[in-house]
Amino acid sequence: MAQPAALTELELSGSASLGRGADTGRGDSAPRDFLSYLARKTGAAVVSFVMLMVVGFVIFALMPSDPVATLTRGRITSAKQKAFLIHQLGLNQPVWERFVHFVLNTFQGKLGYSWQFQQPVSTLVAQRLWPTMLLMGTSTILSIVLGMWLGIHSGWRPGSLLDRVSTGTSLTLWSVPTFWLGLILLVLFSVGFGPIPPLFPAGGMSTPGSPGGLSPAHFLDVLRHLVLPCLTLVLVIFAQYVTIMRSSIIDELGSPYLLTARAKGLRDAEVRRRHAVPNAMLPSVTVIFLQLGTLISGAITVETVYSWPGLGYLTFQALQIPDLPLLEGTFVIFGASVIVFNLFADLLYRHLDPRVRRQ
Amino acid sequence: MTPSRNPLLTRTAHAARIASTARAARIASTARSARTRLATAVSLLLVLAAGLAAAAVGPTAASASSPGSTLRVVADTSFSTFNPFLAYFNGELAVLGNIYPTLTTIDEQGKPAPYLATSWTTSADRLTWTFKIRPGLKWSDGKPLTAADAAWTLNLIMKNQVAATANGSLVANFASVTAPNATTLIIRTKKPQANMLYVSVPITGIPIVPEHIWASKVSGLAHFKNMSFPVVGYGPWVLSGYVPNQYATLTANKSFFMGAPKFSKLIVQYFTNTDAAVAALRSGQLNEIDTLTSTEYKALASDKNIGRYPQVSNGWTGIELNPGARTRSGKHFGNGNPALQDPRVREAIALAINRPELVTKILDGLGVAGAGYIPPAYPQWNWTPPSGSALNYDPAKANKVLDAAGYKKGPNGIRIDPKTHKPLVLRLGIHSDEITDAQMAPYISEWLQAIGIKVNVQSMSFNTLNAELPKGNWDMLSDAWTTGPDPTYLLSIQTCSDLPLNNGTGGNTDAFFCDPKFDQLFGQQATEFNPAQRAQTVGQMQQILYNANVDIMLYYADSLSAVRSDQVKHFFYGKPNAQGFYPQQNLFINWRTATPIGGAAGSSSSSTLWIVLIVVVVLLLAAAVFLLRRRATAGQRE
Repeated sequence: MAQPAALTELELSGSASLGRGADTGRGDSAPRDFLSYLARKTGAAVVSFVMLMVVGFVIFALMPSDPVATLTRGRITSAKQKAFLIHQLGLNQPVWERFVHFVLNTFQGKLGYSWQFQQPVSTLVAQRLWPTMLLMGTSTILSIVLGMWLGIHSGWRPGSLLDRVSTGTSLTLWSVPTFWLGLILLVLFSVGFGPIPPLFPAGGMSTPGSPGGLSPAHFLDVLRHLVLPCLTLVLVIFAQYVTIMRSSIIDELGSPYLLTARAKGLRDAEVRRRHAVPNAMLPSVTVIFLQLGTLISGAITVETVYSWPGLGYLTFQALQIPDLPLLEGTFVIFGASVIVFNLFADLLYRHLDPRVRRQ
Repeated sequence: MTPSRNPLLTRTAHAARIASTARAARIASTARSARTRLATAVSLLLVLAAGLAAAAVGPTAASASSPGSTLRVVADTSFSTFNPFLAYFNGELAVLGNIYPTLTTIDEQGKPAPYLATSWTTSADRLTWTFKIRPGLKWSDGKPLTAADAAWTLNLIMKNQVAATANGSLVANFASVTAPNATTLIIRTKKPQANMLYVSVPITGIPIVPEHIWASKVSGLAHFKNMSFPVVGYGPWVLSGYVPNQYATLTANKSFFMGAPKFSKLIVQYFTNTDAAVAALRSGQLNEIDTLTSTEYKALASDKNIGRYPQVSNGWTGIELNPGARTRSGKHFGNGNPALQDPRVREAIALAINRPELVTKILDGLGVAGAGYIPPAYPQWNWTPPSGSALNYDPAKANKVLDAAGYKKGPNGIRIDPKTHKPLVLRLGIHSDEITDAQMAPYISEWLQAIGIKVNVQSMSFNTLNAELPKGNWDMLSDAWTTGPDPTYLLSIQTCSDLPLNNGTGGNTDAFFCDPKFDQLFGQQATEFNPAQRAQTVGQMQQILYNANVDIMLYYADSLSAVRSDQVKHFFYGKPNAQGFYPQQNLFINWRTATPIGGAAGSSSSSTLWIVLIVVVVLLLAAAVFLLRRRATAGQRE
């Protein structure tokens, strides 16, 4: 880099590290502030979690259902067998007693026992966690990268061809029903259409009968199965990053610090990358963290379309009975994940934005 | 420091920006020509990559669609256990029926035939059944398979409540089961039991398990998943592997006495939606698929590699009319419309429904208009209303029936109930998760409107509808059942003894139907050993149900299957009937008789091609990033 060191100094204090200068002189109280901030936020998170458990339990307990009838439908079931099943499922306990059990078990990390799968909920969740994280993680990272890049470049030159194309495309895809897009991609790329050969498998996470394990062949096989569900998700969700990043960048366009940066003789791309983008990041960070919190709950529709063995589809299966322990278990995990990531986001804001620190 | 929002400063910034654009434009113009070159290069590379992808994947798809010694079929449901004492999902039952033996089997005509039992006799009092067990059979681990295994399995289900979870009701009438020697099994029943030969049949009956394996599992039976592979059993297949929530792998038992399967491997894969399964069939990733909708079925007609097999239905779709919800002791409850307690109103409704039209409009002709209560899949139970007494579509007659019964039309054309003086408005509950229900509801509404009955359609989930049914808070509900070859269960849900108790529990009543004559015949058919005689009794029961119009059979939708005719032959058996429908199929036979076409290629691994493809894509990306970086830093290098 042939840039004079002085300029780098200038711009550092100017924008990229916004509040570092303003924060000096409050160093003594900073750790104490941080601790009280942390305590406040953690407290709020715990309260949210308790509310979550109450709401989760009440909603599912109110659901009209007769799990014993659903589970025994189609088989002659004697009154004695039904009574045994009711006892086994704990349906003979009063609601408040079930609630107390639920709360106590949850705080001990126990998630109950699934009625339909006859397995501990935690086992079921653990089995499906990795597929969901793989699918959601990959698609989220790709959406973030693609969406932010397009958002930054569209926002930098609003009205340009790139802006019009990317905004138009992303908003169109955002408004498309996910399952529909999934089915279209499935027909196009799995069955093949016209000149398009069948490129990708129609469902599942690996080719049946192929050896599993940690071989490169298995890795590629999983990758092949990942393409369509991941593409569906990316096409639908990248729009939110585009729109948010684009509008934040546009907000920054007229700012005087950009003028300063240009006056220093920085190239356009440099001004954008080193000055505008860091300042425009905050709203995107919010969205990213909200998104991360919901990662674990998977995408019910995409998992259903592509037979992806994930948590979203597990929840759907639980709803069909309804399998209350499984529903409550997944609800608690999904909710807790959102709460934890929001807590992270709160802590990260403090680091990113000095205004939060000053509050 | 936050960026200033002072309007003056903002304006200044704009002016400066305009001034700087001229300079920027100059730089941009060089950048633009570079960009054009870059774009051309990238698009060329992309075209190349697409070509490579097509070249790499084209043969893959072709090789996947070439026939192999692996049969790939769809599972009806996902698998959660392979413990035959607990399993009740269809997908699990199909696998279990093929890896564990049963006393008898169901032949291609749908009738009981020998399996483990080579022959059987009954005592004069019809309470003792003596089965001769086939000698010389061995479990897959080499231990002998004897009558003792069968006796042990049946005794466990009779005595252990956990073991009774899936099939307890089938042995409820058993007094004792013993195996005096390796080839003799004696079952004593409390009352004569006509359906004995259906008790232990593949898929719908009780599988026999090896005692030497299972004896040690009894204490932890409730939590035992039976997932250590290969699973020790006996049958046409051995369960050799399972990938959770995806598929099960089975290996052919080459020494199966009825004939070894023609494929050497079987993969039963679960798809969460049939559209994906259809896609897999069309691209050759699957060989066979069941439970198609009529739309999917029609769409497959254009594919010359796919053979389609409609089968005579083993289920019906109907509407149940609430004849007055009551408990076993006769206590009435629920808020069903009292007009439906009048058999004449129910008869009028039955006359107002155009069943053949539903078959045409909803099923695309792939089904039969409903009449008898037992679906047509099992010819031995077939019953059709005697000529003259059939309640065919006749709105004029329906109107006459209602006029004669005193239901006069009000000013808006809706009839008034003479007893309550309220207009005849009925609720129709349909399954929100069943597409044919939503299609059927407008027809029913229109037809009933034509005879002066207003219909309010209420869409409910399967669970909600199930939960509402025993509460009696409904007028008309959409209903559907399928049955195995033994109709006992389907008949039992129409008996008085299946009404709920006064405390609201117990009973599986389908529609609060209760007729002592029906119950008496139900008891009688259970003890009739002569199949023809039993069929006649079951016919009388169907007549009673038909006349009562509590369950109005709308149609029997064909079971629709399709198979890759370029990869598999002899999957389906039997000859099509006059309407072109094949007999009801049995997976125990289908999976065994299915024969690969051509050489045993198997699905070739295409990983080399994929590695090439991925390397190309990565290189392309790297090149693109490199070029972009060069462009972005071009100014600094100037």
